[in-house]
Amino acid sequence: MIDAVPNSITIVMRALADPTRRAVFERVFESKEISVAELTRGSGVTQGAISQHLKSLKQAGLVAERAEGRNVYYRAAPQGLEPLVTWMDHYGVFWRERFQNLRDLLKEIDP
Amino acid sequence: MSAVASNVETKDIVIDEVFPHAVEVIWKALTSAQLIARWLMPPTGFEAVEGNRFTFKTNPAGAWDGTIHCRVLEVAPNRRFSYAWKGGDESNTGYGSALDTVVTWSLTPVEAGTRVRVVHSGFVTPKNDTAYRNMSDGWVKVLQRLDAVSGEDK
Repeated sequence: MIDAVPNSITIVMRALADPTRRAVFERVFESKEISVAELTRGSGVTQGAISQHLKSLKQAGLVAERAEGRNVYYRAAPQGLEPLVTWMDHYGVFWRERFQNLRDLLKEIDP
Repeated sequence: MSAVASNVETKDIVIDEVFPHAVEVIWKALTSAQLIARWLMPPTGFEAVEGNRFTFKTNPAGAWDGTIHCRVLEVAPNRRFSYAWKGGDESNTGYGSALDTVVTWSLTPVEAGTRVRVVHSGFVTPKNDTAYRNMSDGWVKVLQRLDAVSGEDK
């Protein structure tokens, strides 16, 4: 694995050379999906610093982001897994929310 | 669920709930552009007619402009409504990667109202299952190796 993709490993290791950024990545990796606010909590650094680290991680392709309203959520981005994991998680949440919206609308138009 | 090609497998998202409303009311909510805009997303060019094309707009990502391209596949009033749901771009990974799926709504009258089932189908697993497993293990190994490298630096 490591020998097979030296460039990917180099990019990964360079992005994770900073101990704080690596700690951020590990927390994202351990989470299904996590927000900047959640990452900031208990980290000992500012939310601005967390955002900068996430920007670097995103540029390295190590995390992917998803915006929902005012919040942005991050997840680890292992390439081989990502299309399935991200889309199914995204739409799993999406459709559950829409079902609730539909339920609310039906109550309104057909009490 | 297996697809035609032996090396391609797809997975579905299924949500199934009973709503305390007549099937006709729910059908209207699923097939009226005005109502769809309120509970799902504002559609552009929507008509519940087989073959009709319409779009939704969502958050863009990389090369994908965020447009979801849909086409009505089946309309069986008060029973079944399905449409193709395509988005993303081949050059993206994760959110915004190429997506070629189908959304199917099924309505069944029940004593308490109507059972509403949505199946969002066609989420393709990685083309090569070996790659799937390798990447899964690979990430753990990358992190383990980083532990070792990090230790050396101290």
